[in-house]
Amino acid sequence: MEPSAALRGATVVLDDRAILRNVDLDIAPGLTVVRGANGAGKTTLLRAIAGLAPLARGTRTASESPILVSHRTALLRALTPRENLAFFVAWRGLPPARVDGALVRWGLAALADRPLERLSAGERRRAALARLDAEDAGIALLDEPFSELDLDAGTLVRLAIERWTLERRAVVVATHGHPELDARAVRVLQVAGGSVTPA
Amino acid sequence: MSALRRALLVARRDLAAERRQPDGLVAALTFTVTLIFVESLAVGPGEARRPVIAAALFWIALLFAAILGATRSFERELEDDAIDAIVALEGGRDALFAGKALALAGSLAVVALVGGLLSLVLLDLDVALPLHLALALALGVAALPPVVVLDTLLALRLRARALLVPILALPVLVPQLIAATQGTAAALAGDAGASLGWSGLLVAFTLVYGVLGLTIVPVAAE
Repeated sequence: MEPSAALRGATVVLDDRAILRNVDLDIAPGLTVVRGANGAGKTTLLRAIAGLAPLARGTRTASESPILVSHRTALLRALTPRENLAFFVAWRGLPPARVDGALVRWGLAALADRPLERLSAGERRRAALARLDAEDAGIALLDEPFSELDLDAGTLVRLAIERWTLERRAVVVATHGHPELDARAVRVLQVAGGSVTPA
Repeated sequence: MSALRRALLVARRDLAAERRQPDGLVAALTFTVTLIFVESLAVGPGEARRPVIAAALFWIALLFAAILGATRSFERELEDDAIDAIVALEGGRDALFAGKALALAGSLAVVALVGGLLSLVLLDLDVALPLHLALALALGVAALPPVVVLDTLLALRLRARALLVPILALPVLVPQLIAATQGTAAALAGDAGASLGWSGLLVAFTLVYGVLGLTIVPVAAE
């Protein structure tokens, strides 16, 4: 079964403000780019797809648990990248060897056993992105994936997005930059005023 | 993967983080030892040697240590929104509750061991029924985490959680506190029947709040 996720009539209200209103959305294999101004609700949209934003109305479905890589790494700072990834790999019942492969791919082999709290912001973000390879995630939700990364790491992200889409994964990238992504996207969405429309 | 295995994974992850950053355990240990010592001084050495007083001092200290340990454990989860990664997983919410409760019980067992030994030495207590005492201690340690973890989870996104968790947890924990205190005091005094009776009540509390947590957390944790 191909990875997919959907929102139907989804409304998200945070702090008495409707961030998303009556959103209908289907996520399918390939790259989906989500655009919108700061505060438009891009992050909330990704969190709603991931099941992390409570829906005041509407429903959410997903063929599997999506992985959201956001501004914050969603990893435990006290643990090393290896320990963090090993937890998720074990959760999904995958072989532990996948952790080392993912860490090497994201240039973290030498830092694999250093606690996250002793890594730079960019290194922590690479560890978070390495989850997507370690867990073979079918649905990847990336919120401003290029922020805090140097040029080399940014290239790694671009190549990873290409690779994941070729592998028929559903990749959603929310960003207000990187227009070059639009050419590779199967759909480009615009978030504004609580609505999500084709750009 | 079974629900038990998922809970054990979360517990193992939590204990690994606690090993690397033992500030929660150290704070709970320091707090427990200090509280037992100060409380003993406050009530006087003669009074503090009475089984029911010694047991009450011990369990009050352990109750606050449980709140301290749970609060620190969830603060660690909030640092980089690490909790989100678990909540987003299928079955993640109940595993989070059960795993955190198991890990907290593990940490509390260490605190109970140190606090218990300190009480025995400091107050020069006689233990009439050591096995019954061990049973009451183990079941008391198991009865606290489900309530404390549940309340901490429910108050997690509130700014005033440091204040709210004790306010929410303490009234609910009064029955556990009474049962653990009476079960421990009975074991110290040599009343096997009473000790086992109170221990049975602790098992019931653990089961009730365990099931309650597994029911509430998946729908309430955001």
